[in-house]
Amino acid sequence: MRLFLALLLTLAAAPPAGPRFRTIPVTVESATPLAAYQVEITTAGRIVGVEGGDAPFDAPPYYDPAALAGGRIILAAFSTESALPAGRHRVAVLHVREEGEPRTEIRLTAAADPGGARVEAQAFVGRQP
Amino acid sequence: MRKLLIPALLVAACTKDAAPPQSPLASAPPRAADRDHDGIADEDGDENALEPPEATEAPRHRAVAASPPRDTATRPRPDLRARGPSVDEVWILARAPRAAATEPRVAPGLRAEVEGREVPLPLARTDVRAKISGFLATVEVRQRYDNPYDRKIDVEYVFPLPANAAVSEFIMTVGARRIRGIVRERAEAEELYREARRQGYVASLLTEERPNVFTQKVANIEPGKQIDIALTYDNTLPWEDGAFTFAFPTVVGPRYNRAGSRDGVGAAQRGSAGASGQPTEVTYLAPDETSRHRVSFTIELDAGAPLVAVDSATHALDQKIVSDHVRRIAVADAAPDRDLVLRYRVASRPAVFVHQGADGATSFALLLPPPADLRQLARAPVEMVFVVDCSGSMDGLPIAVAKRAVRQQLARLGPADTFQIIQFSMDASALGRAPVPATPDNVARGLAYLASLRGEGGTEMITGIRAALDFSPDPQRLRVVSFLTDGYIGDERDILAAVAAKVGSARLFSFGVGTAVNRYLLEKMAAFGRGAVAFVDLGERAPEEAAALFYERVSHPALADVSVDWGAWQVSDVYPERIPDLMVGRPIVVVGRARGPLPASVEVRGVVGGRRVSYKVPLGPAAEHPALAKLWARARVGHLADAALLARDPAAIVEEVKRVALTHGLLSAYTAFIAVDATEPTGGGTAPIVPVSVPVPRGVNAEKSVPR
Repeated sequence: MRLFLALLLTLAAAPPAGPRFRTIPVTVESATPLAAYQVEITTAGRIVGVEGGDAPFDAPPYYDPAALAGGRIILAAFSTESALPAGRHRVAVLHVREEGEPRTEIRLTAAADPGGARVEAQAFVGRQP
Repeated sequence: MRKLLIPALLVAACTKDAAPPQSPLASAPPRAADRDHDGIADEDGDENALEPPEATEAPRHRAVAASPPRDTATRPRPDLRARGPSVDEVWILARAPRAAATEPRVAPGLRAEVEGREVPLPLARTDVRAKISGFLATVEVRQRYDNPYDRKIDVEYVFPLPANAAVSEFIMTVGARRIRGIVRERAEAEELYREARRQGYVASLLTEERPNVFTQKVANIEPGKQIDIALTYDNTLPWEDGAFTFAFPTVVGPRYNRAGSRDGVGAAQRGSAGASGQPTEVTYLAPDETSRHRVSFTIELDAGAPLVAVDSATHALDQKIVSDHVRRIAVADAAPDRDLVLRYRVASRPAVFVHQGADGATSFALLLPPPADLRQLARAPVEMVFVVDCSGSMDGLPIAVAKRAVRQQLARLGPADTFQIIQFSMDASALGRAPVPATPDNVARGLAYLASLRGEGGTEMITGIRAALDFSPDPQRLRVVSFLTDGYIGDERDILAAVAAKVGSARLFSFGVGTAVNRYLLEKMAAFGRGAVAFVDLGERAPEEAAALFYERVSHPALADVSVDWGAWQVSDVYPERIPDLMVGRPIVVVGRARGPLPASVEVRGVVGGRRVSYKVPLGPAAEHPALAKLWARARVGHLADAALLARDPAAIVEEVKRVALTHGLLSAYTAFIAVDATEPTGGGTAPIVPVSVPVPRGVNAEKSVPR
């Protein structure tokens, strides 16, 4: 019985077979108002679309085509709005096709305030670090 | 300050570790696409292309499963049944309210003003927003798709863009959400699209079938839902005879494919999807049918110099003068049955645009004029060969216009010239066995022969090329081929390769006759033929004006063997790689990359009538334009595509096209844009495909150009 339950739990936790699509929210958390960011994201699958996040980063961010390779992408966006977010803010949503174990790594390569100065910030996928 | 921040950030992060994109899925040849060998749309191998063959009177058009109509048995797509009994063949049976058909309000041969039966189609409108700076245009094309049926559908739309368009942005809007598409190797993008479609996700795929023919696919549009696709391109605009031209095509004309062709662009009637047997196929509305699809234009024109005139022979323009060099132009709700052609004259031509990239290199676009004194030189005697396309698509007004253009040209021949007239459709024939002197009697004979020509049959263009270029050259005269056609052929490669192989010392001038001609073919024929292209619309004065400009060009020698001394400017990778001859009234745009400060001028050198000449072209203050790196990349892709046309083994060239296109995020024959909304799948299984049927171009005889 215990073995059966363990098998069931294992099957339930296993990623579904075959390719599947999902979205990956991208969040940047900064102590001061965020005017621009750049992140490098690596996923186990293929990125099939890039959507904006919450205002003022609701427009689809740009990506660098020269750096696009497999599941790796470099995203960047800026805002000239006067009301800029501080704290945790969803800046983008990735649309990906995955197969096998989901895996996503993210690295914040730049974050700046309205004057272009670097700000202390961190990036993560999902709503929580 | 802020606007510069992100590009700078990107550069810092990308220059060091930008790995060449890898594509584990990509190895299939281009255009293998997602149609099988018999041309049937076959994303998953379990359904066929679907069209609304009939209309119903229901306000919401009903999509039902039904048996195919009886005439399907005669269509050349029987393999559909061979796939077994599980084939779920679905036909949309729908009928829009019938409007009373009226007679055409325009001259015989023109049919677009017919208020015929409106056919329900999923493409509602196209909005074109262009920003023109000098001779560079940035154009956003927004297509609005919706689903007028009661079950979800997929859409396929084959549409044109300018052949030199550098398509670099693609955004799919689903409700309030905008999803930026990703450029990937074509085979990989096609596989991702197929998978998303199969799983029920809203997805879109943009592919290039020819440099000027594209396919937009949108999967899983639910009933009542709307999806916008916005693509953005940049291109350079030509200067021709005193004016810049902005041309935007709205429809792909019905193309003829040679027997046995399996890589063409086919034409079929609405309701007969797959009938052409070609991997890319345009379906056409019947002459008594219309659709609600309309195209609107908003053009912000900043010429960079005082504007002398802005006009269009094809559309009525709503113009607002903003300043002496800026106009806002609008065209609302135009029928998608002809090119929009806008011409603007400026007091002084801009010379050069530049953009400095992150690596310190400058991309530039330079307008290179011919020498000012070419008009003072007379031409040598010519052997003029007129070639008239007499295929079915030229029947009616197009062939009448072509004949008038030839008449005008015949009348201007001198006594030392000779001429020949060749007609072709399924085969070629000529006025005589050899060119004859342009005596009044011979010209009269030529005019009588010309009057006897009719438009009928297919477009075996290769026979016209051979007839014009295969016979022995006259050592006393320069052969000038004047080739008049709409260019409606499905596979341009054979023609261009033949022109390149056979042109020798002759010059080929191509004339695109019609309202929506195959500009790519005509421009390339002229480029490979070392001549020039002209477009002759079906307007009242068009043939005479085109003939006059043609004669202006061939009446004076061109500057040949052109080279440019860039001085201290370290220039590389200039396209066109071999600068074509510079003719009266025809400056050309060259793009390239350079390092170092922009010089005050460059020196152009060449040969005119056996005499070496050189002259300086002042560059003046350069204007900045951010699209120049993409335009350079597009020019390189075009150069490579030309090389691939003539190469025995183009594999290495194809790889370089992919590399350039992926690095710059460009659409090409081997790269494609994919966008998937992975939020949640739609329900209801796989959707049937609805091709977007289009009208035949204005002035084209549908009965003789679209196979029944």
